[in-house]
Amino acid sequence: MEKIGRQVRLPLATAMQISLQGIRIRLGRALVTLSGVVLGIAFLMSVITGEFINAAVKQEREVRNQTTLMSTFVTSEVGAVAGKTLSVAVFGALSAPEQALLAGLAAEHATLRAYGYSGTGVTAVPAGRLGEGSALLLVLGDNPAPGIALGGLMAGMVQPVALDARLRTYPDTPPGRLEHFGIQSAEMLAKAREAERQQGFRTRWIVIISLLVTVIGIANALLMSVTERFKEIGTMKCLGALSGFIRRLFLIESAVIGFVGSFVGLLVGLAFPLLAYGVTFGFPAVFSALDGKRLALSALLCLTAGTALSILAAIYPANFAARMVPASALRSNV
Amino acid sequence: MTDRAVIIRARDVTRRYKLGEEIVWALQGVSLDIFEGEYLSIMGPSGSGKSTFFNMIGALDIPTAGSIEFMGEDLFRLPEDKQAWIRCNQIGYIFQTYNLVMVMTALENVALPMILKGDTRRDANAKAGAILERVGLGHRVDHLPSQLSGGQMQRVAIARALANSPSVILADEPTGNLDSKTGEEIIALLKSLQTDDRVTVITATHDVKMLSVSDRIAWIRDGRLERLEARANVQIDMGSMTH
Repeated sequence: MEKIGRQVRLPLATAMQISLQGIRIRLGRALVTLSGVVLGIAFLMSVITGEFINAAVKQEREVRNQTTLMSTFVTSEVGAVAGKTLSVAVFGALSAPEQALLAGLAAEHATLRAYGYSGTGVTAVPAGRLGEGSALLLVLGDNPAPGIALGGLMAGMVQPVALDARLRTYPDTPPGRLEHFGIQSAEMLAKAREAERQQGFRTRWIVIISLLVTVIGIANALLMSVTERFKEIGTMKCLGALSGFIRRLFLIESAVIGFVGSFVGLLVGLAFPLLAYGVTFGFPAVFSALDGKRLALSALLCLTAGTALSILAAIYPANFAARMVPASALRSNV
Repeated sequence: MTDRAVIIRARDVTRRYKLGEEIVWALQGVSLDIFEGEYLSIMGPSGSGKSTFFNMIGALDIPTAGSIEFMGEDLFRLPEDKQAWIRCNQIGYIFQTYNLVMVMTALENVALPMILKGDTRRDANAKAGAILERVGLGHRVDHLPSQLSGGQMQRVAIARALANSPSVILADEPTGNLDSKTGEEIIALLKSLQTDDRVTVITATHDVKMLSVSDRIAWIRDGRLERLEARANVQIDMGSMTH
């Protein structure tokens, strides 16, 4: 008589093949499970993408508002800037609205004389000669205490008026009028920061809930598909399938569904906010605002999370299926 | 008859179920030796425990007490991979409800045990085709079970049971869902497996047509082995001559 052998452990490739065949012939069923993953990941991805676009667009919008505000100040002082001579003193680095302001003034054909700054359409001059023939002095940059006397900068101006973008301290009393423009109060800044914090908290909460819904949805769908297949699992065991093999079949199935579902989901979740914000703010603005690297990173995160969560959700159903005694699996009539 | 090798030895096999609060004794200590190459029918009314006993000797269920020896080893003390090897290589199962994988074609169903044994799909498909040819379904290989008649599905199930050339065929009510003529054809096919392939055939049945082909008949009633009958001596001798 032959000796009792040990059942071979089939290679992963075989399990993969049988699992994929299972998905193919039960495509309708797999699509239902898949749509659960797609929805969950699409939601996650759209929240992330929406957040990115929103942040980028918001910044863009703020810069634009700030620039408009500053140029309104300038025009209210000197009227139309075309042909006028304006002097600019820059201490430290320029902010984005300040840069936009200078570019805007140059585009409107103002003659710009600058100390501490050089660029196209701007003539660099020494500090002592900055005021010559100028209608307005703009003090820009992020240095709060330049240690330079305003008297020197404003000498020789047609009208001794200075607009300062920051609350700077000077060693002397200004020889003419000194006004501030484009400054946000500390109160406003604090309020904006608080709103941002709350928004971030709400976003995280929504993401966590959406992930939970996805996991429960997938686990439920897989549990259903295991229950439907009790008889088939019993049959497979009769024919010599090991418990580990049955477990593997279900894990592979859900990994494949999770991966494909996450991929589709992240495309959907990317497309929807792009469309929505694109319609509101214009597509060029939205596309230029997007940070490709961060977006790719979140896409990768979604793909990994979707696949991992699908596998996680499948562990219980897969173990349940694998542990069944063949006779009781065969007896069930679902 | 005593010189024939025992392939399955059941000793005091007991199986108890819990149905809510009630305890059901499906088997109350059945002992039986099954010989290599014989055609044994386990007869009994429904609810007698014959299907439970059938599941035990097929390593499909675990007894509450008692033991089953298969090829000289205690079946339920074997590790899982040895049990699976026995199910895959030594036993072919046939069920009343066929238990085919409904989403696979006839060929894929028959090839499945070979794939699980480790054969390549190409080899498995070639062998499966040949076996289906043998059971008279060579023209139906690519049909799904739902496109086949009951008799044809049972032939696919028999072909699947034969896939890995088992030493034992276990058939649980194989003719239960078939009309009488188709049932006779299936019985003839099972008998030919015993006589031509020297396979041990064990059927659990209450189909009296099985009696004429069986070497021995075990009557089970209320979870006990009531009596064990051999057919006329002449026929048993004929049976032994093939061994």
